[in-house]
Amino acid sequence: MRLLCFTVFCFATAATIASEAEPVGDRMDREFREKIGPFLTTYCLSCHDSDAPEADLDLGGYASAASVARDIRRWELVLERLDSGDMPPEDADPRPADDLRREVVTWVRSVREFEAERTAGDPGAVPARRLSNAEYDNTIRDLTGADIRPTRDFPVDPANEAGFDNSGESLAMSPALLDKYLEAARKVADHVVFTPDGLAFASHPAITETDRDKYAVNRIIAFYKRHRTDFADYFEAAWRFERRAALGRPDSTLEEFAADAHLSPKYLATVHAALTGDPEPAGPIAALQALWRELPAPDAARPDAARPGCEAMRDLVVRLRKKLTPGVDNLTAPGIHDGAQAFVYWKNRQFAANRRRYAGGALELGDVGLPPGTPAARALTAPTDLASAEAYEATFARFCSIFPDAFVLSERARVYLDPEKEKDLTGRLLSAGLHSQMGYFRDDGPLYELVLDEGERRDLDRLWRELDFVTSAPMRQYAGMVWFERTDSRYLRDPEFDFARAEDKDVTSEAKIARLHELYVGKARRTGASDAALAAIEEHFKNISASIRWVERAHVAAEPLHLEALADLAQRAYRRPVTEKERQELQGFYRELRDRDALSHEDAVRDTLVRVLMSPHFCYRLDATLPGDGPVRPLTDYSLASRLSYFLWSSMPDDELLSLAASGTLHEPEMLRGQARRMLKDPRVRGLATEFGANWLDVRRFEEHNAVDRERFPTFDDELRSAMFEEPIRFLIDLAARDGSVFELLEGDHTFVNPPLARNYGMPEPDGGADAWVRIDNASRYGRGGLLPMAVFLTKNAPGLRTSPVKRGYWVARRILDEHIPAPPPQVPELPADETKLGELTLRETLERHRADKACSGCHEKFDSFGLAFEGYGPVGELRTLDLGGKPVDARADFPGDVEGTGFEGLRSYLRDHRREQFVENLCRKLLAYALDRSLLPSDDRTIREMRSKLLAEGHRFGAMIDLIVTSPQFLNKRVAADAYVEADPIEEPIR
Amino acid sequence: MTRLANGPASDGPGVSRRVFLRGVGVTMAVPWLESVPVWGTETLTAEGPAAAPKRFAALFMGCGINADHWWAKGAGAEMELGKSLEPLAPLKAKLNVVHGLFNKSATGVGIHPGQTGNILSGASLKKGSELRGGISMDQLLARHFRDETVQPSMILGCEQPVTGYHETNFSMAYSSHISWQSETSPVPMEAYPSLAFDALFDNRGRQRDRSILDRVREDAARLGREVASTDRAKLDEYLTSVREVEKRIDAVRAHKAKAEARAKDAGTPAVTMKRPDDGLPEDVREHMRLMCDIVALGFQTDKTRVATLVLCRDLSGLFYPFLGVRSAHHSASHDDLSESYEKISRYYCEQFAYLASRLDAMREGEGTVLDNSCLMFVSSMWSGSKHDSGKVPLLLAGGLGGTLETGRVLDYAGAGDDNRKLCSLYLSLMDRMGLALGHFGDASARLNGL
Repeated sequence: MRLLCFTVFCFATAATIASEAEPVGDRMDREFREKIGPFLTTYCLSCHDSDAPEADLDLGGYASAASVARDIRRWELVLERLDSGDMPPEDADPRPADDLRREVVTWVRSVREFEAERTAGDPGAVPARRLSNAEYDNTIRDLTGADIRPTRDFPVDPANEAGFDNSGESLAMSPALLDKYLEAARKVADHVVFTPDGLAFASHPAITETDRDKYAVNRIIAFYKRHRTDFADYFEAAWRFERRAALGRPDSTLEEFAADAHLSPKYLATVHAALTGDPEPAGPIAALQALWRELPAPDAARPDAARPGCEAMRDLVVRLRKKLTPGVDNLTAPGIHDGAQAFVYWKNRQFAANRRRYAGGALELGDVGLPPGTPAARALTAPTDLASAEAYEATFARFCSIFPDAFVLSERARVYLDPEKEKDLTGRLLSAGLHSQMGYFRDDGPLYELVLDEGERRDLDRLWRELDFVTSAPMRQYAGMVWFERTDSRYLRDPEFDFARAEDKDVTSEAKIARLHELYVGKARRTGASDAALAAIEEHFKNISASIRWVERAHVAAEPLHLEALADLAQRAYRRPVTEKERQELQGFYRELRDRDALSHEDAVRDTLVRVLMSPHFCYRLDATLPGDGPVRPLTDYSLASRLSYFLWSSMPDDELLSLAASGTLHEPEMLRGQARRMLKDPRVRGLATEFGANWLDVRRFEEHNAVDRERFPTFDDELRSAMFEEPIRFLIDLAARDGSVFELLEGDHTFVNPPLARNYGMPEPDGGADAWVRIDNASRYGRGGLLPMAVFLTKNAPGLRTSPVKRGYWVARRILDEHIPAPPPQVPELPADETKLGELTLRETLERHRADKACSGCHEKFDSFGLAFEGYGPVGELRTLDLGGKPVDARADFPGDVEGTGFEGLRSYLRDHRREQFVENLCRKLLAYALDRSLLPSDDRTIREMRSKLLAEGHRFGAMIDLIVTSPQFLNKRVAADAYVEADPIEEPIR
Repeated sequence: MTRLANGPASDGPGVSRRVFLRGVGVTMAVPWLESVPVWGTETLTAEGPAAAPKRFAALFMGCGINADHWWAKGAGAEMELGKSLEPLAPLKAKLNVVHGLFNKSATGVGIHPGQTGNILSGASLKKGSELRGGISMDQLLARHFRDETVQPSMILGCEQPVTGYHETNFSMAYSSHISWQSETSPVPMEAYPSLAFDALFDNRGRQRDRSILDRVREDAARLGREVASTDRAKLDEYLTSVREVEKRIDAVRAHKAKAEARAKDAGTPAVTMKRPDDGLPEDVREHMRLMCDIVALGFQTDKTRVATLVLCRDLSGLFYPFLGVRSAHHSASHDDLSESYEKISRYYCEQFAYLASRLDAMREGEGTVLDNSCLMFVSSMWSGSKHDSGKVPLLLAGGLGGTLETGRVLDYAGAGDDNRKLCSLYLSLMDRMGLALGHFGDASARLNGL
């Protein structure tokens, strides 16, 4: 009642301003009573009344202009049908005169316009809504850093009227779906990795030991790979630094050259100093200095001129190091297996200790692969007198220290066996080289000492601790030892060892290890092990026991850190600060699971995480507002952060957005625009390209498209299908990042292809695999450019064995131009499914016949011609000159408005010259509907107009639309009381 | 026997079922009742017996058997059994001894792990540090029955899984895991009988969901009071869904209590099993018995229909002082025709026979739980000294509800490689359990004459 008064009051106020003589509201009401009401009664209500209304359209119950305004979306349909003359139907009796019909049309239009002005900028109803499947997946990805995609088994989200699946109108919840949410949350929780200082997420489940190994090992390997250790790179960078003036960078520092080449500044300085320091008289460094001096001067045309020389230097180092690395014999003892852990680890330690150590061999180098007589070769000629030999060898010690035989050893086959026979056993990452037992060995001393800076050293140390912690490696290795010593080795088969069973969890207890340690050593002593062997055994027991105890202590120490991490995770999951109460509640839940339900720490943390992910604070978008009284209130800055991020990224806000929200400045228009600009350049804008772009263009599910007959089109495989889907996505991402003109969508002369797509398009293939995407300019050479001739649309809108000018044309009319075209009547004759079965007629001729039918022509004239222009493209979007029936294709088309054109180029010119405005209007409307998470309302009309004038004023750059949207009142505010249209009770007597 | 009082009503606030069970120390479960399809989501029905559920279990032993004593001939009661198979003599009529099947992906790739990690999937395995194989047939069945039982599958082992690398460069993880939930991840294996028991009788998964939903419902309700009226409908939808799922969880529990009460009233003999002690049993004999008991109980009470039990893994380090054998399992298998390894083979056969006879002692409808199940015994190779996986020893017990004829000796050794695939057997078994697949692993045809 109060709201109705509000409505009427507004009508009156606005109307008074509009007209001095008679307020517009009054006039429209009078016209309703005089004309519209009687028109409805006479011509409409016999079919569209409340008893079983035709087409579910009940036009009874309207008593005033206000009541029509309330229902304006339904009346827009009435308007459209009246305007086109479809309604009342031809056979209606009585049928209104055209003049009368037009008067009604004019009246409805004026109500709509009045309504649009009156409510301009109203946010409309945007209820709390659950995350769409895509939003859920993306949010989990950004929350955890792992692309887990837990919604894979969810049902497809329904789309709203505007074609997007992000609105509360369409996103429902059900018990069945809730169960799937539970499963999804559990799946995410299975990816949790418990680290010594918090929680992380693996890209795979991390429950079984082998999965935990994979996580922790790959992190270390990735760290190693990030650090370049090719000597040639360092020589070359040093050379560039030396020649910096000639390279046009006289002021650049050695550090800068290191950074440019992604090298360690520290090691580069070491190498540079060795090459440019005091010339050595003889030895390997002298040889390198000789080669260094011979490196060519830079040359503008060949900035890489020194590369071959640097590689030759590298090769010399590698050859020398091979000759200078000492062998290590197995340590053995009677009755003990050569592959016993103690001995294998001992051997690994010897190798590690030798990496930078000179252990002789300088005097017997033999051929080092240098041309005889060169200064370098001379430097490596061993002296014959004893006195010089000593100095000569000293240079080798320095050389070995600077140039290790390896920076890192990241793979090992079984180290106690003949390396020749073991050389196929690759890929055992970080393995200690045991037989059939797990065990890791860290051998990265040279990298650590020569290459890494302090921070990097800490990182690497942390990763190795994490490996032990995450995988319980020491415990497992020890259990493996007990097992091995009883199977391949027979050492533990005496009954005195029976207490130690690999299967028992307490096999790694302090007491049991101590007991085995004593008995093991005792037996070794009895059977005659050497002192060295005994020492190695002692050391192994000591080391592994210490590691096990450390892991145990670290686990205890980490529990509170895991809980803190959980609270931080909740904060990011809720996309706002969590209250102290919420923090305590989470801790309380965890405690309860441990104490009451006796869950383990890990299970309790996982369940608490599931509880966070199941909370509506996570899986719903709630749009909290500032406190206030009015029915429309401003969103909080945190809500705005989410609004921005779900609009532009289809995902949660990042730290920058959240911290701006925390500072309370995010809502400032300049800040919003600035953030939007930043976000459009972020790779996460793929969310917008996919969820907005692909839904707008109706190809969102193309990756499941199976309508192509792969026997007839063998080139259409999954790879090509993915590439087709990817093309418009790449195009949109690029457009957004460059802030290019929206007309490029239709008129751009470029596109993006990868090798499979290039093959389909008959373009030269870019180098690389399916990930090698390149931009193609002057794409019209290949009949491409912009969205229209992209294979994804041509294929999606072809039924498989022929093209479909109808579907392709309809797609242009509907998706690009937003033409409203009613569904075809029933009993439309089907075209043959296969182009080869059309008989004498071409598809074009068949369609012409179809259009000759008057019932069909009204609509088909609006779009068939667009589709015919694409006849030069076959069913999978390939260029063609003959159709599948072997007839030459004819791509001439008569576009609406008597414009003739040929092929895609003709269509492109036609759209540019005649339909540009319509395209822009459509794009603005679609983007706004997507941004607001709802279908458009009349209150959005003004915003659309503003978007268009801003586009015009700013060269149609893509970002102009975004700028306007993110600062529009609809975007910034929320209607907290139901909107005026819905809640105003009709009190007038309904007309009958 | 106060177990029957252990329905939802007795679960006072703050007392979990698990703690309760631990306190009582003794529990009792009831068999599946044909008039009371109790455990699943099915509703109670008074009319007519429901079809008994079908179950599948695979028992695995690593490193092969003693081939001299692993044979059978004849059929039905007349069947003659080699020495190692003698423990199965009382079950001849319900047994199929299947010779000559093999897993092609497990041949020609080197010994041990490459012969094991794919025994239930037929997938080819990847060497090096990245694991990759295939989803195993038990997990397909588990998914198939997912909504019908408390536990989709029980994945048990009497020996802890290991990793590390074998000389063939396959990960030792393949030696430990026969059940795989995806190409790259094995299903976590439970080695502790006490925890395996709890997983069944605590109804842990769903109870844990219940605790979570409790809190989530509070969130939603509180939020519903705080938000704008425009949001309320959507949050109500959520709240209602939460309540509905909670109700379903409770209904399953209530159902169970009711069924237990009925079972008691009907005087149905209840099976008792003590909750195993925490920790691993010292004696491997006790360990295997307990694990078999838990599988039997899970099947009998229809809490799960799928189980795999790795009695010992490939390259097993178990040892058997009670058999008078000092060598550990794997070493002993290198002398596979020895008396010692015969004893070991027979010992494993006894475990299979034990589980089968447990199930056969459980009445169900007109027959027994065994009659409605299929137990499979399989090893990774035929001969441990030759590491020969050209054929595998395989036993089947139980008739899968009358769909699988028993009392037979089937020999596929000469049938040609295409007609003796393990995966064909799996297709045939999955068919009978209502999961018809076009192909599985390396097979697209069913096993002839099964």
